[in-house]
Formats: sequence, C-alpha cells, structure tokens
Amino acid sequence: MTTVDERARELTPPSTPALRLRGVSKRYGPVVASDNVDLDVNHGEIHGLLGENGAGKSTLMKILLGLVQRDSGTIMRGDTPVAVRDPQDAVALGIGMVHQHFSLIDALTVWENVILGDTGRIDRAAACRQVEEVSRRYGLPIDPTARVERLSAGERQRVELIKCLRRDPSVLILDEPTSVLTQAESAELFTVLRHVVRAENRAVILISHKLAEITAATDRVTVLRKGKVVFHSPTGDTTPPELARWMVGRDVSLRAEGAALGMLPVDGAAPSGDPPAQTTAESPSGAEAEAVTPAETTAEPAAGAGSGIAPALRLRDLTVVIDGVTVLSELSLDVAPGEIVGLYGVEGNGQSTLGDLLSGLVLPSSGTVELTGRPVELERPGALHRAGLGIIPEDRHSSGVVLDMSVAENLVMKSIGDVSGRGFVSRRKMHAVARRLAAEFNIVAPSLDAPVRSLSGGNQQRVVLARELSAGPSVLVAAQPTHGLDVGAIEDMYQRLRDAASEGVAVLLISTELEEVMALASRIAVICSGRITGVLPAAEATAERLGMLVGGVAA
Amino acid sequence: MSAADDISTILSSGIRLTVPLAFAACGEYLAERAGTMNISLEAMMLGAAFGSVATASATGSATTGLVAGVLIGLLIGFVHGNLAHRLEVNTFVVGLVLNALVLGLTSYLITISSFDSHQVTQVSVPWLRDIPLIGHPLFVERWPVYLLLLIVPLTWWLVERSRWGLELRAVGEQPQAADVTGIRVNLRRRQALLWCGALAGLGGAYLAVGEVGSFNQNMTAGRGYIVIAAVIFGAWRLGRTLLGCVLFGLADAMRLALPALGLTMNSQLLVVAPYLLALVAMLVFTTRNREPKSLGQPFVRGST
Repeated sequence: MTTVDERARELTPPSTPALRLRGVSKRYGPVVASDNVDLDVNHGEIHGLLGENGAGKSTLMKILLGLVQRDSGTIMRGDTPVAVRDPQDAVALGIGMVHQHFSLIDALTVWENVILGDTGRIDRAAACRQVEEVSRRYGLPIDPTARVERLSAGERQRVELIKCLRRDPSVLILDEPTSVLTQAESAELFTVLRHVVRAENRAVILISHKLAEITAATDRVTVLRKGKVVFHSPTGDTTPPELARWMVGRDVSLRAEGAALGMLPVDGAAPSGDPPAQTTAESPSGAEAEAVTPAETTAEPAAGAGSGIAPALRLRDLTVVIDGVTVLSELSLDVAPGEIVGLYGVEGNGQSTLGDLLSGLVLPSSGTVELTGRPVELERPGALHRAGLGIIPEDRHSSGVVLDMSVAENLVMKSIGDVSGRGFVSRRKMHAVARRLAAEFNIVAPSLDAPVRSLSGGNQQRVVLARELSAGPSVLVAAQPTHGLDVGAIEDMYQRLRDAASEGVAVLLISTELEEVMALASRIAVICSGRITGVLPAAEATAERLGMLVGGVAA
Repeated sequence: MSAADDISTILSSGIRLTVPLAFAACGEYLAERAGTMNISLEAMMLGAAFGSVATASATGSATTGLVAGVLIGLLIGFVHGNLAHRLEVNTFVVGLVLNALVLGLTSYLITISSFDSHQVTQVSVPWLRDIPLIGHPLFVERWPVYLLLLIVPLTWWLVERSRWGLELRAVGEQPQAADVTGIRVNLRRRQALLWCGALAGLGGAYLAVGEVGSFNQNMTAGRGYIVIAAVIFGAWRLGRTLLGCVLFGLADAMRLALPALGLTMNSQLLVVAPYLLALVAMLVFTTRNREPKSLGQPFVRGST
C-alpha cells in the first residue's frame, strides 16, 4: 500500500512532534489498561493506532482527552510537559476528538450541535455561515439547518468532523471512525483527513482495527496489545500480514493446533484426530473452507455444514438497522448439530446485536432464522425458545437472570407450566426440579430460596446454563459466556459447552476472546462491520489469517 | 343575567383559574425540557401559597408576600435539584416526599396560626375593559396576571434562543453527548429546577395573595399535577402547554359556574374533566412523541 508520495515523505526530515507520551500507565484494579506507553504523534502525519479489544487504545485516548487520569507518565506538547485534568484542558491544548457515538444530539439541528459547548451569545446566522465555510473548505457538504436525527451515519460523521475542525485542533483523534460508514463515505473521510494533515499540518491519530484502513490512510502505525506498545513502524515499511500478526499475537497458531488436536467437540461423523484437513466433519474440504469475501458470503453462505447434516441453526441474510445504522448486514451462518461454531470479532461489529436478535430483543429488518429446518416467527415473544433455542445472554444481569428472585424460581422460569397446576405454582415440584438441576450443574448456593444476587458470577451463569439446557434445546447460543468469571468457572463453562455439543446440540459461541474461540470452536466465523468476512476451520486459523479477517480483509 | 354576562363571568373565572397554572407551566416546561420530571411542583405551589399569606400578614404587604412565595418555590427547587441531581436520589421519590412534607407542614401550621387577609391590587385598564364579552375578563385583573405577558415570551426565548436553553435541551435529550461536549449536565438541570421553583412559587403565591387573599388547607388541590399533565398535553411545546392550562382553567370555571347557571349536570364529572383531558391527550400524543429523550432519567458520568 506504499505510495510514492509516502516514500517521499519518509525522506523528508522528521516532522515536529505535536504530542509525546512517555511511560503513560493506567491500571483498573488488577487490569493494566495502559502499560508504560511511549507514543510520538507528529505534525503533518496520520498516526494509526491498531489493536484488538481491550488493547488499551481507548484508555490511551481518554487519558489524552482528560476523561481518565493516568497513574504515571508524562504527556508533552513539544518539549513541555502538560496537565490534562479534564476535557476543557484538552480543548485548550488543541486536542480534538471525533466521537463516534455520544457527541451529537439528535433533536438539535446541525448548527446547534456545532456550537454546543461554546460560550457567549448565540448568533444563528454566524453559526450557519461558519458551518458552511468549514464544510466548503473540507468538502463536507451538509445543510446547517437540518435536524441531526434525519441524517445518515455518514452525514453525522461529517457534522462531528465539522464540529471538531471548527475549533482548529492541532491534534485530531478519530476513534474507529468508519465503523458505521459505507465504503464511499470512508473514502471521503480519508480524503478530508489527508487534506487536514498535508495542507494544514495538523496531527491525526486514527484508532482502528481495520488493516486496510491503517495501511491505506496512515503514515506511521503503532500496534497496541494488552496495554503495551508491541510494534511501531512507518506504515510504508510494514505489511498487513505483519500487522495482523502483531495485533493478534504470535502464540495463536500454537493454540490453534492444540485446539484442533485435543479439544474438538465430538461431532457425529467426525473422524477424530488427523489435522488439519479433516478436523471437522462439517468442513467440505480445506479449500472450500477458505475465507470468503463478504460478497460471496451473501451469495453462498459460508457455513461449511454441508455433507449431509442439516444445520440446526440457519441464519439467512439477517440485516438489522438501528437508528439508521446498519448493524448487521446480510449475515448468514449455519451451525450443525454437535458442532461449536465460534463467532469472533472485535467488539462493536454487530455480534451483540446478533445475540440480542437471538434472544428475541431485536427484530431484523430482513432475513430469517431457521431452527431445525423451520423458520421462526421472530415477532412472537418466546418463539425462539419454543422452537428449541437456548441462550446464554451477553448481559446476564439484565436478561439472563432476575437477580432478586430465588435460585429455584430462576431455574424454572422458562418452564413454569411444568411445575404448576390449576394456575398455582407448586413449590414442591419447583424445588424438586431446582434440586435436580442444582446437583447436575454443581450450582453452589446458600439455599435454593436464596436470591440469585447472592451467588457468585460463575454460579449465576450456571443457573442460566442449567435453565437453558434443561429445556432440551437443539441450539445453544452462548454470548460472551465467560465474561467476568474466574478461572475455575471458565473451565467448567467450557466443559459444559463441549458436553452439550457432544450430546448433539448445535452451539454458537459469540465471543471477543480469541483464546476462548480457539479452545472451543471447530469452525471460526469472523465478523467485521456486521458481515461475516470469513469462516475458517479452527486448525487453519493462524494469527495472520484471523487478524486479516478481523481487520475486514478477506485473507 | 344575560347569556353574554354568563359567558363573561365564566371567562373571568376561567382566566383567574388559568393564571396560577400558566406560571407554573412555564417553569415545569423548562425543567422538563432539561430532563427533570418535576413532581414537586405541587409542593412548590402549596408552600409558596402558605408562605405568601404568612409573609403578607406579617409585613402587611401582599407584594412582599408574592416575593416570599417565589423564594419558597426557589428553596424547594434547590432542595429537589440537589437531591435529584447531586445526590442522585430518584426524582419521583424526591417529588412525592416533598409534596407530602409540604402538605403536612402547611396543614399543621395553618391550624396553629391565624393570618390577616391581604390581596394584591387590582388593575383596571380604561377603555379596553369596556370591550363586550372579553373586556372585563382580560382587562380587570390583579396586577401579577400581567407578569405573564413578560414571563411567557421570556421562557420561550430562554429555551429556544439562548445558549443556556440550547444547553438545557441538549441535557434533556442526550446528557452523555452533552457531557462529552463539555456541558455540566447536572448543574444545568439544577438551574432549570430553580427557574421552575421561582415560577411555580409565583403561581402558588398568586393563587393565595392574588386570587383568594387567604390560605386554606391543601388550597392548590392537585393543581401542580394538572400542570404536569398540561405539559404532556402540550407535547413539550410552550404554546400548546399554555393552551392546555387554559382548557383546564375553563373546565374548572365551568364546574364552579354550573350551579349558578341552574344546570344540573353532575359536577363531580366536571371535577375529573381536566384529568380525563390529560389522559386523552396522552393517548393522542404518544404516537408522535416529542418527549425529551432523557426525561426523568438521572445522569451519572460513565454510564451509557
């Protein structure tokens, strides 16, 4: 992706640093979100900050914006250390951020949003003039009197940019700016950023997990992993595969082999052992299981569940649009009985929406969900449950359990009919069922009448799992099932999911933890911007290929 | 009595019953645009009514009483604001507790004290008062009525045109976004409650030292709630909110006038009319809802 232009820039004397970070650290309890980070951001450059979830990108930026206080380290403007105690300090230092999500007010007009946060009298005519002026200068057409709620995602982005650029920042930070944009809108954005950097000598920090974006748009790239800077280079001197390896980590391929050899679920016809080509019965062949491009995904679903076994869960062309943003885009995926499919991707790429959809909390604007061959009427409450879908929701406190109801009540909640007669719940029957499930799933509780709130996270999750599996589902969807659990509980959850699969349940594991996906799944589907960018057998999942798919590049 | 006189009488009484609602509505409208569902409106009005009568009696000046009413409204707004938007107590609970407290306190205090009657002076506009039908209702009123001519446009201007109002609207819609932009969300909400308290206090005080001249137990009788209903009826627009107040005021006036007119309509039915009106309004307006998105939701930084 190196252009002649970029090469030429490499030869020019190093530009002046707009912002320097030295040894910046921040920890939240035992979690080190930012570990001794050094970073130089120069005038006239777009600096890419690449990393997975939890790599510490956002924490670093929040520190720069004064939203989070660092524990140690120095932030320097040129050679002078500066204090950034709150957002006002950041504005005074000329650090501006284009927020993706929370900075525009839908009910207000464009010009009102742009001047929000200023002081002094409101001059509508002057504000509109300024918006038009900035919009002309950067080629960001917008009607200043339009209400934001009527704008598309791309237009909102323009408003964000105008709002930020109007304050003349010397350092402009963009956090995952293209996550809701179309290709054309992204291209337009990067044209503007080029102009901002070249013609006006500002510095831009571009946070992204998309490799294509980083390689195409940045002059310099820093890769963060687990809060540390692991790689730093002029963008022209590196390649997407190299960046993918740094982003995901070198040790993945080892784990992949381990997963392929030892931890595969026993699926019906799986000839055990022999990696890599025959690791799963569902993979038609190594070649066909190659990652496919999004276009191919929509035409011919990438699920490899061919060879005779009808998929238990079949998602077809699911599209979900929330507030004008396409969150899921024609997503198709099959899960066969007895297999665990991992849906992996960086957070915020649509996987939690898919989880909500499969919980019945969100309706798709188009597409179907089929369970054991039959389409489900999603608009009916409980239809998914009745059709045989069990779900471990991502947020167990809000949709997994009722915290202040008892363990027994939570366990029978989805099958109250079975423990009641003549309209009354039989406490005896309820307790019998609850006792059996608690014993079977090793739920440790002070008593069956204790509120679920009093249980540890691991035991709460066991309650959810016990309830869902006791209904005898044909499909189990586990969304971030080990989130916030301790090591023992995680192991237990893994074992239960493997057991469920070996008993013939089709398991869809939605996770942002690569280790988890590698440990459990026989096939890995990667989601990026609401699309499946590829499906790989676990044995073929190398850091590089996963990194490319996660970054939105079909490998 | 001629029919014209009857209509004129009902209009007069309707306007007098509307005025306290209109003052409070200007306040509640602004507080709700900033995102606070201010249930303690009733407490503000009732407390101010009592305070104004007590002060008027002590100082001998009804106008001083009016000022005292405003101050009591401000005090209750201050308490509500700090409990709801500093200590993060649920705004509905704060409102209900304050209403119960003020009702109990004023009911007790009125039994142990006696006050002289004072009323603010009446203004009678020459020439205009002679206009048939509406002349007397509109142009022979106690002077605070004419404050509305100042306060209504001022409230509109503050919300729709001032920077403060822009920030209030932002805070009522998407407080997280407003916070990121550098607006102090909870400060703005507390300020909005002070404006609300002052105006609700003025409304309550007008009821006592303007209209009646004395205080009696629970004299606001749910007018605070009527105003909250009027804001919903008005779908969070000032003009329609005030129209709601006029409708409620006229319905009240009809109720009082019916026996005198010799009509034997069930007056209990008319007592509930304003509330029925509010219910119907809610049914009609929920479809094209213009409610501030974060109405009644507390703002805590970091929660999304």
